[in-house]
Amino acid sequence: MTDTHAMLDLIARETARILSEKGEAAAAVTADTAFLEGPLPFDSLDLATLIVALEELTGKDPFRQGFRQFNTAAELAALYAAA
Amino acid sequence: MSRLIIVTGGSRGLGLAITRALLEAGYSVATCSRSQGEALPAMMEACPDRLFWQEADIGNAASSQAFIDAAVRRFGAPWGLVNNAGIAREGILATLPLVEVDLLIQTNLSGAIQVARAVLRHMLSRPGGGRIINISSIIGQRGYTGLAAYAATKAGLDGLTRALAREVGRRQITVNSVAPGYLDTEMSGTLSGGQRDQIVRRTPLGRLGTADDVVPSILFLLGDGARFITGQTLTIDGGITC
Repeated sequence: MTDTHAMLDLIARETARILSEKGEAAAAVTADTAFLEGPLPFDSLDLATLIVALEELTGKDPFRQGFRQFNTAAELAALYAAA
Repeated sequence: MSRLIIVTGGSRGLGLAITRALLEAGYSVATCSRSQGEALPAMMEACPDRLFWQEADIGNAASSQAFIDAAVRRFGAPWGLVNNAGIAREGILATLPLVEVDLLIQTNLSGAIQVARAVLRHMLSRPGGGRIINISSIIGQRGYTGLAAYAATKAGLDGLTRALAREVGRRQITVNSVAPGYLDTEMSGTLSGGQRDQIVRRTPLGRLGTADDVVPSILFLLGDGARFITGQTLTIDGGITC
Protein backbone atom coordinates (compact mmCIF):
# COMPACT_ATOMS: atom_id res chain seq x y z
CA MET A 1 0.00 0.00 0.00
CA THR A 2 1.35 3.44 -0.92
CA ASP A 3 2.01 5.71 2.04
CA THR A 4 -0.42 8.65 2.02
CA HIS A 5 2.27 11.19 2.91
CA ALA A 6 4.60 9.99 0.19
CA MET A 7 1.68 10.13 -2.23
CA LEU A 8 0.91 13.67 -1.17
CA ASP A 9 4.52 14.66 -1.86
CA LEU A 10 4.28 13.08 -5.30
CA ILE A 11 1.03 14.92 -6.05
CA ALA A 12 2.60 18.22 -4.98
CA ARG A 13 5.65 17.60 -7.18
CA GLU A 14 3.63 16.66 -10.26
CA THR A 15 1.22 19.54 -9.75
CA ALA A 16 4.18 21.93 -9.62
CA ARG A 17 5.57 20.43 -12.84
CA ILE A 18 2.23 20.83 -14.67
CA LEU A 19 1.88 24.43 -13.48
CA SER A 20 5.45 25.17 -14.56
CA GLU A 21 4.82 23.73 -18.03
CA LYS A 22 1.81 26.04 -18.29
CA GLY A 23 3.97 29.01 -17.39
CA GLU A 24 2.15 29.53 -14.10
CA ALA A 25 3.89 30.67 -10.94
CA ALA A 26 4.72 27.97 -8.41
CA ALA A 27 1.98 27.35 -5.86
CA ALA A 28 2.16 25.42 -2.61
CA VAL A 29 0.10 22.23 -2.54
CA THR A 30 -0.91 21.06 0.91
CA ALA A 31 -3.31 18.39 2.09
CA ASP A 32 -6.17 20.87 2.02
CA THR A 33 -5.46 22.27 -1.43
CA ALA A 34 -8.52 21.98 -3.67
CA PHE A 35 -7.71 21.32 -7.32
CA LEU A 36 -10.53 22.96 -9.21
CA GLU A 37 -12.38 25.40 -7.02
CA GLY A 38 -9.59 26.96 -5.04
CA PRO A 39 -6.79 29.44 -5.72
CA LEU A 40 -4.72 26.88 -7.66
CA PRO A 41 -4.64 27.84 -11.39
CA PHE A 42 -5.67 24.30 -12.35
CA ASP A 43 -8.37 23.28 -14.82
CA SER A 44 -9.98 19.95 -15.66
CA LEU A 45 -7.39 19.16 -18.35
CA ASP A 46 -4.59 19.83 -15.87
CA LEU A 47 -6.27 17.47 -13.43
CA ALA A 48 -6.52 14.78 -16.14
CA THR A 49 -2.83 15.30 -16.88
CA LEU A 50 -2.04 14.85 -13.19
CA ILE A 51 -4.06 11.62 -13.01
CA VAL A 52 -2.27 10.23 -16.09
CA ALA A 53 1.12 11.14 -14.61
CA LEU A 54 0.28 9.55 -11.26
CA GLU A 55 -0.77 6.34 -12.97
CA GLU A 56 2.50 6.24 -14.87
CA LEU A 57 4.53 6.84 -11.72
CA THR A 58 2.65 4.51 -9.37
CA GLY A 59 1.18 1.93 -11.73
CA LYS A 60 -2.15 2.48 -10.00
CA ASP A 61 -5.46 3.68 -11.41
CA PRO A 62 -8.06 4.18 -8.67
CA PHE A 63 -10.55 5.30 -11.32
CA ARG A 64 -10.44 2.11 -13.38
CA GLN A 65 -13.92 1.08 -12.31
CA GLY A 66 -15.40 4.56 -12.60
CA PHE A 67 -14.99 8.07 -11.31
CA ARG A 68 -14.54 8.56 -7.58
CA GLN A 69 -15.22 11.91 -6.02
CA PHE A 70 -12.39 13.92 -4.51
CA ASN A 71 -11.72 17.62 -4.01
CA THR A 72 -8.45 18.05 -2.17
CA ALA A 73 -4.92 16.75 -2.54
CA ALA A 74 -5.30 14.67 0.63
CA GLU A 75 -8.47 13.02 -0.70
CA LEU A 76 -6.70 12.17 -3.95
CA ALA A 77 -3.68 10.79 -2.09
CA ALA A 78 -5.99 8.59 -0.03
CA LEU A 79 -7.50 7.10 -3.18
CA TYR A 80 -4.04 6.06 -4.39
CA ALA A 81 -3.01 4.83 -0.97
CA ALA A 82 -6.03 2.56 -0.88
CA ALA A 83 -5.72 1.32 -4.47
CA MET B 1 14.59 11.66 -33.74
CA SER B 2 11.77 12.27 -36.20
CA ARG B 3 8.22 12.85 -35.01
CA LEU B 4 6.10 9.75 -34.51
CA ILE B 5 2.71 9.45 -36.18
CA ILE B 6 0.43 6.58 -35.25
CA VAL B 7 -1.69 5.44 -38.19
CA THR B 8 -4.36 2.82 -37.60
CA GLY B 9 -5.17 0.52 -40.48
CA GLY B 10 -2.01 1.25 -42.47
CA SER B 11 -1.67 -1.94 -44.46
CA ARG B 12 -3.85 -1.05 -47.44
CA GLY B 13 -5.97 1.57 -49.14
CA LEU B 14 -5.83 5.10 -47.77
CA GLY B 15 -3.96 4.02 -44.63
CA LEU B 16 -1.16 2.52 -46.70
CA ALA B 17 -0.90 5.67 -48.82
CA ILE B 18 -0.74 7.79 -45.65
CA THR B 19 1.96 5.57 -44.17
CA ARG B 20 4.04 5.74 -47.35
CA ALA B 21 3.72 9.54 -47.61
CA LEU B 22 4.62 10.07 -43.94
CA LEU B 23 7.78 8.00 -44.34
CA GLU B 24 8.70 9.99 -47.45
CA ALA B 25 8.15 13.19 -45.46
CA GLY B 26 10.59 12.03 -42.78
CA TYR B 27 8.21 11.00 -40.01
CA SER B 28 8.45 7.81 -38.02
CA VAL B 29 5.28 5.74 -38.37
CA ALA B 30 3.70 3.12 -36.15
CA THR B 31 0.83 1.36 -37.79
CA CYS B 32 -1.37 -1.61 -37.12
CA SER B 33 -3.83 -3.79 -38.95
CA ARG B 34 -5.32 -7.23 -38.70
CA SER B 35 -2.81 -8.53 -41.26
CA GLN B 36 0.38 -7.07 -42.67
CA GLY B 37 -0.79 -6.99 -46.28
CA GLU B 38 1.42 -7.09 -49.35
CA ALA B 39 3.14 -3.69 -49.35
CA LEU B 40 4.22 -3.13 -45.75
CA PRO B 41 7.01 -5.75 -45.55
CA ALA B 42 9.04 -4.05 -48.28
CA MET B 43 8.47 -0.64 -46.68
CA MET B 44 9.63 -2.01 -43.32
CA GLU B 45 12.74 -3.36 -44.99
CA ALA B 46 13.41 0.03 -46.57
CA CYS B 47 12.78 2.00 -43.36
CA PRO B 48 13.54 -0.36 -40.48
CA ASP B 49 14.28 2.48 -38.06
CA ARG B 50 11.17 4.54 -38.80
CA LEU B 51 8.37 2.07 -39.51
CA PHE B 52 6.79 -0.19 -36.92
CA TRP B 53 3.84 -2.51 -37.50
CA GLN B 54 1.94 -4.68 -35.07
CA GLU B 55 -1.09 -6.86 -35.59
CA ALA B 56 -4.08 -5.32 -33.84
CA ASP B 57 -7.85 -5.33 -33.97
CA ILE B 58 -8.98 -1.74 -33.45
CA GLY B 59 -12.37 -3.00 -32.32
CA ASN B 60 -10.66 -4.66 -29.34
CA ALA B 61 -9.50 -2.18 -26.70
CA ALA B 62 -6.82 -4.48 -25.25
CA SER B 63 -5.42 -5.15 -28.70
CA SER B 64 -5.18 -1.48 -29.71
CA GLN B 65 -3.75 -0.52 -26.30
CA ALA B 66 -1.03 -3.16 -26.69
CA PHE B 67 -0.16 -1.71 -30.10
CA ILE B 68 0.10 1.85 -28.79
CA ASP B 69 2.16 0.76 -25.80
CA ALA B 70 4.56 -1.06 -28.13
CA ALA B 71 4.80 1.95 -30.45
CA VAL B 72 5.59 4.29 -27.56
CA ARG B 73 8.21 1.89 -26.19
CA ARG B 74 9.84 1.90 -29.61
CA PHE B 75 9.68 5.61 -30.52
CA GLY B 76 8.54 7.60 -27.46
CA ALA B 77 5.44 9.77 -27.16
CA PRO B 78 3.61 10.35 -30.46
CA TRP B 79 3.28 13.72 -32.15
CA GLY B 80 0.26 12.69 -34.17
CA LEU B 81 -2.50 10.17 -34.65
CA VAL B 82 -4.36 9.36 -37.84
CA ASN B 83 -7.47 7.45 -36.83
CA ASN B 84 -7.91 5.70 -40.16
CA ALA B 85 -8.90 2.10 -39.46
CA GLY B 86 -12.44 1.35 -40.45
CA ILE B 87 -14.74 -1.16 -42.03
CA ALA B 88 -17.76 -0.84 -44.30
CA ARG B 89 -20.86 -3.02 -44.16
CA GLU B 90 -23.62 -2.39 -46.66
CA GLY B 91 -27.23 -3.31 -46.21
CA ILE B 92 -30.68 -1.90 -45.64
CA LEU B 93 -30.75 -1.20 -41.91
CA ALA B 94 -34.01 -3.08 -41.34
CA THR B 95 -32.32 -6.30 -42.37
CA LEU B 96 -28.69 -5.60 -41.54
CA PRO B 97 -27.73 -8.18 -38.91
CA LEU B 98 -27.25 -6.63 -35.48
CA VAL B 99 -23.88 -8.32 -35.25
CA GLU B 100 -22.78 -6.25 -38.26
CA VAL B 101 -24.14 -3.05 -36.69
CA ASP B 102 -22.23 -3.79 -33.50
CA LEU B 103 -19.06 -4.54 -35.45
CA LEU B 104 -19.28 -1.24 -37.33
CA ILE B 105 -19.75 0.78 -34.14
CA GLN B 106 -17.08 -1.15 -32.26
CA THR B 107 -14.47 -0.74 -34.99
CA ASN B 108 -15.20 2.63 -36.58
CA LEU B 109 -16.32 4.59 -33.53
CA SER B 110 -15.55 2.92 -30.19
CA GLY B 111 -12.18 1.76 -31.50
CA ALA B 112 -11.26 5.22 -32.72
CA ILE B 113 -12.29 6.79 -29.41
CA GLN B 114 -10.24 4.24 -27.48
CA VAL B 115 -7.17 4.88 -29.65
CA ALA B 116 -7.55 8.66 -29.32
CA ARG B 117 -7.85 8.28 -25.54
CA ALA B 118 -4.74 6.13 -25.31
CA VAL B 119 -2.69 8.43 -27.54
CA LEU B 120 -3.87 11.56 -25.72
CA ARG B 121 -2.59 10.22 -22.44
CA HIS B 122 0.90 10.17 -23.95
CA MET B 123 0.47 13.60 -25.57
CA LEU B 124 -0.64 15.13 -22.28
CA SER B 125 2.34 13.64 -20.47
CA ARG B 126 4.75 15.90 -22.31
CA PRO B 127 4.45 19.53 -23.44
CA GLY B 128 4.60 20.59 -27.06
CA GLY B 129 1.18 19.92 -28.53
CA GLY B 130 0.16 17.32 -31.06
CA ARG B 131 -2.18 16.40 -33.88
CA ILE B 132 -5.17 14.08 -34.10
CA ILE B 133 -6.85 13.45 -37.44
CA ASN B 134 -10.00 11.37 -37.68
CA ILE B 135 -10.77 9.94 -41.09
CA SER B 136 -14.51 10.34 -41.42
CA SER B 137 -16.51 10.37 -44.67
CA ILE B 138 -18.99 12.38 -46.69
CA ILE B 139 -21.35 9.48 -45.98
CA GLY B 140 -21.52 10.75 -42.40
CA GLN B 141 -22.52 14.21 -43.65
CA ARG B 142 -24.95 13.36 -46.44
CA GLY B 143 -25.88 9.70 -45.99
CA TYR B 144 -26.19 6.97 -48.58
CA THR B 145 -28.76 4.23 -49.00
CA GLY B 146 -27.54 1.01 -47.43
CA LEU B 147 -24.92 2.71 -45.28
CA ALA B 148 -26.97 4.01 -42.33
CA ALA B 149 -24.92 2.38 -39.59
CA TYR B 150 -21.66 3.22 -41.33
CA ALA B 151 -22.84 6.83 -41.71
CA ALA B 152 -23.66 6.97 -38.00
CA THR B 153 -20.14 5.91 -37.08
CA LYS B 154 -18.57 8.50 -39.38
CA ALA B 155 -20.84 11.29 -38.15
CA GLY B 156 -19.84 10.19 -34.66
CA LEU B 157 -16.19 10.70 -35.55
CA ASP B 158 -16.92 14.28 -36.61
CA GLY B 159 -18.61 14.85 -33.25
CA LEU B 160 -15.56 13.40 -31.53
CA THR B 161 -13.40 15.81 -33.51
CA ARG B 162 -15.34 18.90 -32.47
CA ALA B 163 -15.64 18.01 -28.79
CA LEU B 164 -12.07 16.82 -28.39
CA ALA B 165 -10.75 19.91 -30.16
CA ARG B 166 -12.35 22.04 -27.46
CA GLU B 167 -11.12 19.75 -24.70
CA VAL B 168 -7.41 19.62 -25.56
CA GLY B 169 -6.87 22.87 -27.47
CA ARG B 170 -5.29 24.53 -24.47
CA ARG B 171 -2.38 22.10 -24.84
CA GLN B 172 -1.91 23.03 -28.50
CA ILE B 173 -3.21 19.65 -29.57
CA THR B 174 -5.33 20.06 -32.68
CA VAL B 175 -8.10 17.65 -33.65
CA ASN B 176 -9.57 17.62 -37.13
CA SER B 177 -11.52 15.35 -39.43
CA VAL B 178 -10.70 14.58 -43.02
CA ALA B 179 -13.80 13.44 -44.88
CA PRO B 180 -13.04 11.79 -48.18
CA GLY B 181 -15.69 11.33 -50.82
CA TYR B 182 -15.98 8.21 -52.89
CA LEU B 183 -12.48 6.83 -53.30
CA ASP B 184 -11.34 4.24 -55.78
CA THR B 185 -10.17 1.81 -53.08
CA GLU B 186 -11.04 -1.70 -51.97
CA MET B 187 -13.76 -0.27 -49.69
CA SER B 188 -15.61 1.15 -52.71
CA GLY B 189 -15.37 -2.17 -54.52
CA THR B 190 -18.91 -3.05 -53.51
CA LEU B 191 -20.35 -0.20 -55.58
CA SER B 192 -22.19 -1.43 -58.68
CA GLY B 193 -21.25 -0.08 -62.08
CA GLY B 194 -24.42 1.99 -62.09
CA GLN B 195 -23.64 3.48 -58.70
CA ARG B 196 -20.11 4.40 -59.77
CA ASP B 197 -21.40 6.07 -62.95
CA GLN B 198 -23.95 8.05 -60.95
CA ILE B 199 -21.30 9.24 -58.47
CA VAL B 200 -18.98 10.31 -61.27
CA ARG B 201 -21.83 12.19 -63.01
CA ARG B 202 -22.63 14.09 -59.82
CA THR B 203 -19.01 14.94 -59.04
CA PRO B 204 -17.97 18.34 -60.47
CA LEU B 205 -14.41 17.13 -60.95
CA GLY B 206 -15.76 14.17 -62.90
CA ARG B 207 -14.16 11.11 -61.30
CA LEU B 208 -13.84 9.07 -58.15
CA GLY B 209 -11.09 10.22 -55.82
CA THR B 210 -7.90 8.36 -55.09
CA ALA B 211 -5.87 8.02 -51.91
CA ASP B 212 -3.33 10.40 -53.43
CA ASP B 213 -6.02 13.09 -53.57
CA VAL B 214 -6.46 12.88 -49.79
CA VAL B 215 -2.94 12.33 -48.45
CA PRO B 216 -1.56 15.89 -49.02
CA SER B 217 -4.25 17.37 -46.77
CA ILE B 218 -3.34 14.93 -44.01
CA LEU B 219 0.33 15.90 -44.31
CA PHE B 220 -0.71 19.55 -44.09
CA LEU B 221 -2.85 19.05 -40.99
CA LEU B 222 -0.02 17.18 -39.27
CA GLY B 223 2.44 19.96 -40.01
CA ASP B 224 3.31 23.17 -38.20
CA GLY B 225 1.43 25.24 -40.79
CA ALA B 226 -1.87 23.86 -39.48
CA ARG B 227 -1.22 24.85 -35.87
CA PHE B 228 -4.25 27.19 -35.70
CA ILE B 229 -6.75 24.83 -37.35
CA THR B 230 -8.78 22.66 -35.03
CA GLY B 231 -12.25 21.19 -34.71
CA GLN B 232 -12.75 21.27 -38.48
CA THR B 233 -13.86 18.73 -41.05
CA LEU B 234 -12.00 18.99 -44.33
CA THR B 235 -14.07 17.45 -47.10
CA ILE B 236 -12.15 16.05 -50.06
CA ASP B 237 -14.70 14.78 -52.53
CA GLY B 238 -14.25 16.38 -55.93
CA GLY B 239 -17.12 18.69 -55.08
CA ILE B 240 -19.93 16.14 -54.87
CA THR B 241 -21.29 17.65 -51.64
CA CYS B 242 -20.95 21.27 -52.70
